[in-house]
Amino acid sequence: MNNQENHIIDHLFRHQHGKMVAILTRIFGLQHLETIEDAVQDTFVKAMMTWRNQLPENPEAWLTKAAKNRAVDLLRKIKLNTNKLEKVDSSYSKDYIEELFLEHHIEDSQLRMIFTACHPVLNPKDQIAFALKTIAGFSQNEIAAALLLKPETIKKRLQRARKTIKEKQIAFVLPPQEELVNRLQRVHEVLYLIFNEGWYSNHKEFLIRKELCGEAIRLKQILLRKETLRNGAGYALFALMCFHSARLSSRLDDNLEIISLKKQDRTKWFVPLIHLGNEAMKKSLSFNDYSIYHLEASIALEHLKSPSFDRTNWNEILRLYQQMYYLQKDELIALNIAMIYIIIYQFEQAKEWIEIVEVNSLEQRSYLYYGVKAEYFKNLNDIPQALQCLTEALDRTNNVVEKEFLLKKINRLR
Amino acid sequence: MKDFMLIFISEDYAALGLSPEEMQNRMGKWFAWNGKMQSQGIVKHGNALHANARLVTGADRTVSDRTATELKEIIGGYYVVQAKDMEEATQIAQDYPDYDLGGTVEIREIMVFDNE
Repeated sequence: MNNQENHIIDHLFRHQHGKMVAILTRIFGLQHLETIEDAVQDTFVKAMMTWRNQLPENPEAWLTKAAKNRAVDLLRKIKLNTNKLEKVDSSYSKDYIEELFLEHHIEDSQLRMIFTACHPVLNPKDQIAFALKTIAGFSQNEIAAALLLKPETIKKRLQRARKTIKEKQIAFVLPPQEELVNRLQRVHEVLYLIFNEGWYSNHKEFLIRKELCGEAIRLKQILLRKETLRNGAGYALFALMCFHSARLSSRLDDNLEIISLKKQDRTKWFVPLIHLGNEAMKKSLSFNDYSIYHLEASIALEHLKSPSFDRTNWNEILRLYQQMYYLQKDELIALNIAMIYIIIYQFEQAKEWIEIVEVNSLEQRSYLYYGVKAEYFKNLNDIPQALQCLTEALDRTNNVVEKEFLLKKINRLR
Repeated sequence: MKDFMLIFISEDYAALGLSPEEMQNRMGKWFAWNGKMQSQGIVKHGNALHANARLVTGADRTVSDRTATELKEIIGGYYVVQAKDMEEATQIAQDYPDYDLGGTVEIREIMVFDNE
């Protein structure tokens, strides 16, 4: 009855969920999205109950078959609910449904969903919530936990996104050629934001947030499989996500406490991801476009290349950050530049860059500003000022792990 | 050894809004529990039940249908297990995976009739 050899691949349900929703939307259209999501949900409840005692030989095939059956059911249901005057497309035949479940069509449907989620008529905040729900199969609560927001807020964003999609009658298609560059750029921005949410996670929801990184990578991979959607920025973004992810598990210790880059165990870095990133980095340079992702990936690579913190090529990293700042006047970039000047003992420049940073625009990350400032004072041996900055940083973060990290620093200085 | 029926009572899964990931994890726990009992040879059989129910009631045999959405709690499934006594059956029930969802396990000893 029970075969322990059988086990299901990680995240199978989540990924299948995204695929099914995408295929069914391709068949029935975005206006039926809610019905579709409910139907897919049903399929998984059924799988969960049926598989409890006995896994099917091929779980994926089982789910696909179930989804096809759902499609046929839905066809009936939607036909019933549709106003008789409204013509139901006769191409909804069983053969057509069968056809859309072929691998290349599945990917195409998923791409359409990605572009829908990142459609410019949607509010940027709604785009992320909608993408996580519809493409990545996160529940409302999971999205809330991952983005550190209330479930109620996520619910509203999802509702607003669905409403906008209906009202604006967004078609479930890939963008036309002339819009592709801009639309792709927005997709990259959304994936980058999702990735960063995961990467900066230093708190009790670490596990779910870490999965944001995995999802961003997976979606970027889907995009790269399509030739017309490849460009330098895309490969560079993929490379940088790989490079950062390679370090993910060395960033926190077993108690989910932060380990600073200086103390990270570099042997824990995940080499296959570094190779994958390297490949992507090479490809990114074969295109004509150049992006901020190229620079960020190069910085990440510099860290990975270095055998230790002290032997890092800080001058090169500094140069890359400065180029980044030139492309995008971002407070976090300025802060990083200041930090590097501290590391290489150029305190005058560090001070200049600290002064450039508008602390309030950093919002929930303003504690980082005080953290850097504390480092600065510590290096100048001004311990009282350093302590004051650390206290200030402590006041500005609710993140338990971050707080502990800062408290340790304070205790060491005292 | 006696037979006990473990009856699982909880809210309908569909109504709980679990994510695909949560469902997969939960299923894994059920699978592991079943596997453990199998290897100990204590589970005789078991089933999961569909949420929708038809009720036939009273002398008139009145028929009514109940969908899961109308009910806070439904019987989602059962196992029949072998145990020495109620205490041991209670021990077995410790591994039921859905306590965190507000689930309950009702343990009933299966009656044995003396056929002599």
